[in-house]
Amino acid sequence: MAQYIRRRLLTAIPVFFGITLIVFLLTDLAPGDPTDLLGEGAAGAAEQAALASALGLDKPLPVRYLRWLAGLLRGDLGESVHYGESVTALIAQRLGPSLLLVGAGVAAAVLIAVPLGVLAAWRPGSLWDGLSNCFTAAGSAVPGFFLALAAIWLFAVQLQWLPASGMYSAGGEGSLPDLLRHLVLPAGVIGLTNVGSILKQTRSACLEVLGEDYIRTARAKGLREGAVVVRHGLRSALIPVLTTLLSHIPHIIGGSVVVERIFGWPGMGSLLFSAVSGRDYNVIMGVTAVIALAVLGTNLLLDLAYGLVDPRVRYERG
Amino acid sequence: MRRRSILAAALALALVLTGCGGGGGEASPAPEGAEAAVTVNYGISNPWDSLMPYNSVSGSNYARIIYDKIYDRLAYVHADGTLSPRGAERWESAGEGYAVVFHLDPEAVFHDGTPVTAEHWAETFRLMTDPACPTLGKANFSVLTGTDENGNRTEGEAFGAEAVDEHTLRLTFKDPTTPEDFLLDRNREFYVLPTHLLEGVDPAELMDLDLWEAPVGSGPCKFVEQVAGSRLTLAAHTNYHLGTPGFDYLVITVVDKSNLLTALIAGDLDYYAFGGSVTAEDAPAAEAAGLEVLEGTVPNTFFELMLNCETISDARIRQAMELALDRELLCEQATQGRGVVTGSSISPASPYAQAAAAAPERDVEAARALLAEAGYDGRSYTLVCTSNRAGLAALIQQNLGEAGIHVEIETVDSAAMFAGMADGTYDIGIASHTPGALPLWFVESRFAENNNIFHVSDLEPYTQCIQAVKRETDPAARTALVAELETLLAQERPFLPLWFGTALHVQSPTVEGIDYASSSFSNENVWEWVKQ
Repeated sequence: MAQYIRRRLLTAIPVFFGITLIVFLLTDLAPGDPTDLLGEGAAGAAEQAALASALGLDKPLPVRYLRWLAGLLRGDLGESVHYGESVTALIAQRLGPSLLLVGAGVAAAVLIAVPLGVLAAWRPGSLWDGLSNCFTAAGSAVPGFFLALAAIWLFAVQLQWLPASGMYSAGGEGSLPDLLRHLVLPAGVIGLTNVGSILKQTRSACLEVLGEDYIRTARAKGLREGAVVVRHGLRSALIPVLTTLLSHIPHIIGGSVVVERIFGWPGMGSLLFSAVSGRDYNVIMGVTAVIALAVLGTNLLLDLAYGLVDPRVRYERG
Repeated sequence: MRRRSILAAALALALVLTGCGGGGGEASPAPEGAEAAVTVNYGISNPWDSLMPYNSVSGSNYARIIYDKIYDRLAYVHADGTLSPRGAERWESAGEGYAVVFHLDPEAVFHDGTPVTAEHWAETFRLMTDPACPTLGKANFSVLTGTDENGNRTEGEAFGAEAVDEHTLRLTFKDPTTPEDFLLDRNREFYVLPTHLLEGVDPAELMDLDLWEAPVGSGPCKFVEQVAGSRLTLAAHTNYHLGTPGFDYLVITVVDKSNLLTALIAGDLDYYAFGGSVTAEDAPAAEAAGLEVLEGTVPNTFFELMLNCETISDARIRQAMELALDRELLCEQATQGRGVVTGSSISPASPYAQAAAAAPERDVEAARALLAEAGYDGRSYTLVCTSNRAGLAALIQQNLGEAGIHVEIETVDSAAMFAGMADGTYDIGIASHTPGALPLWFVESRFAENNNIFHVSDLEPYTQCIQAVKRETDPAARTALVAELETLLAQERPFLPLWFGTALHVQSPTVEGIDYASSSFSNENVWEWVKQ
C-alpha cells in the first residue's frame, strides 16, 4: 500500500504544477492587472509603473511563474497586493471556515442521499423512491445561487428562523450555537445542490447489488433484512457512491465559492471571489494551489477508503 | 490491522478538520464586553484593502468609507456640495488665492490619547510626498507647491504644507485654489496619520509597518480586529471631538450585494453602504417588510458612454452616435424614472449647472447624414459593459443600429472593461460614476497624459480649457470658462454623457441620525449615529 501511495503522490505532483501553470496563464490572459485600478484614481503613470515593478509585473511571464513557484517551494505564497498581508496568513484565516462549510455541506448531502438512495432501491416504486426522484431532479435542476437566495428569503426574511449572512453574530464570536445557526443555511444549500447525483448513484448501485446472488443467499440464510441491505448491499454499493462523491469534490468546492459569497461566509471562496475582481494575483494563485491540493488529497484519501468499504480492493503492485 | 490504521488516520483527519473549522471562531475573539454592548452591524458589498489610507491599491470608495471611520479628514462634505467642520473647525483663503489656512479643532485626539496638531497634518503630507515613500495616490499631493507632477517632494522648493502654529495648517498650491474647490475635490484623499508613532521610520519602509494591521487614527471609530476582506470590528472613539457615536461597536461585514437588503430585513444588518441604496425593483419588498424607502434629493450616479477616439476617430461619427441614442428611453429603463438626461458631466445640483451643455434630441436622420458625410464604412464597434448592464447595452445597440452603426456587445468585469478601454481594446464602454459638485470632477483626470482613457489625439485644447477653469476664482468668469469647455466637448464628443440618476434608499430600522445622501460621497457622520 505504501508503494501505491507513493505512486499516487508522484502522479499528483505534475498534475498539481500543471494546474498552477494553467491558472497562472489564465490569470495573465485576463485583461487588466492591479495597477489598472490605480489608473481609475488619481495615480500618475510613474506610480503605476512603480507598483508594477514592485509586484514584478514588468517581468516576463515565465520569470514571474518561476518566481511564484520558487516561493511556493519555500512555503512563501507572496503578499496580497490589496490587503498588504501574506497570502499564507490570509489563507490560514479563511481555511478553517471553508473546511467547516464544505465538510458540513458534504456531510449534509451524504446524510440525506445515502439513506434515501438505499430506501428507494430497497422499495422501488414506493414513496421513498418518489421522494428520491424529486430530490434527484431538483438537485440537478436548481442552481446553487438560486437555492441560496430562496433559502435566505424563506428562512431569514419570511420566517426569521436563521441568520442571512456571516459566520457569527456581532458579539457571538466563538459561540458554538451561534456558529451552527449561521452554518445551517449555507451548508444546507451546498448539501442540497449535491444530493441529486449522490442519491441517484446510491439508488442505482444498491438496486444492482440487491439483485445479486450473494444477497439472495444472505436472505436464504435467514439474515434480517436490515442486515442484508446495510451490511451486504450498501457496503458493496458504496464504491460507486464514493466515486461519484470523489468526482464531485471539485464541483462542491467550486459551488461553495458562490455560496460563501452570497452568505458572507469568511472562507477561501469569498477571498478568491474578491481576489479575482481585484486582480490580486498572489491570492488567486495561493487559493488555487490550496484548492488543488485539497482536491488531489481528497482523491487519494477516497481511493484509500475504497479498501475500507470493499475488502476485494487491494493496493498491489501493477 | 491495516484497515484499522487507515480508519484511525481518517478519524484523526476528521478531527483536525473540525478543529480547523472551530479555529475560525477562535481566530476572531469577541471584543471584550461586546456581548452586552450596543453594536451596529454594517454591511458592505465589496472588501476594503489595506488599512493604511495612503496604500490603497483599489483607491475605491469601499476603502475610503473604512478610512473615513478610523482616520480624520479636514472637513465633512455634504451631498449638495456644502461643507461642515471635521478635523478643521474653519478655513479661509490666503496668499492671494494660492493658499488655504485651516484652523484645526483643538479637541481632536488620536485613539491613543495624543492630541492632533497641525504638525501631525504637515508631517503626514511631508512623509507621503517623500520620494522614497511608496505612497499610492501620491499624485493627489501634486497640487501643492514643492512637489512634482507625480506628487514627489522636490528639493530646494518650499513645501506647500506647513504648521503655522499648534492648530493652524497652511496649504499652498501651485494654482489659485479656493477652499471649497480643494475640499470638494480632495478632502476624501487626505487623512491625518499618527506621525508621533512614525518617528525615525525610514519612509521607504513606512507601508510595511505592523501599525497598519492595527491602525491608530483620530477618526470617530477605533480599530479592534479584522478578518481581512471579510469582517472589521471597530469601537466608538469616546473622545471624538465632534461627539461620541451612539454605539459601542461598529462591525463591518462583507455581504454579497444581492443579500444586503435581505440581511437588513432579516435583522442581521442595521445599515449597509452606501446609504442603504435600493433598486426600484427591490423597493416594494423593502416596504412590504416595514422599511421606509426614500428617494435621494441629489443625483448620485452619472452614466456615460466612454468612446475610443482613436478607433472612432471622426468627431462626426461620435456626434452621430449621440444623435442616434434615445437618452430618455435609456434613462427611463435604467433608472425607473429616477434620472435626468444630460449632455454634460456637470451635475444638475452643481452651481455650474447653467454652463452645462444640453443633451440634443434624438434625430436618426441627422445621425445618418453625419455618418454619410464622415464616410462611415459600416465597420462594427465593440461595446463593452459589465454583465448587469447587458440589457442597457442591447438597447444602445438597437438605437445605434437604427442609424446604421454596427455594434457588437461584450460583457466583462469592471477591471477588464476599464483596462480594455485604457489599452484601446474596446471602442465603446458603459460606465457610471459618483458625481462631484465641481465642474471639472469628471474631465480633469480623464484628459491628462497619464490617463487619456478616451484616446484623444490632441489633449492640448482640453487641458488649456481645464487649466483656465482651475485658475479662475471669480464665479461668473469661471462659469463662462466652463461653458467654453462644454462647447468644445459637445463639438468633439470624446465621451457621451447619458444621465444623472438619483438613488432610493432604505432607512435603517435601528439606527438614527444617518446622513444617507452624503454617504454616496464617501463620508458618513457616524459620530451622530445612535442605535436604538
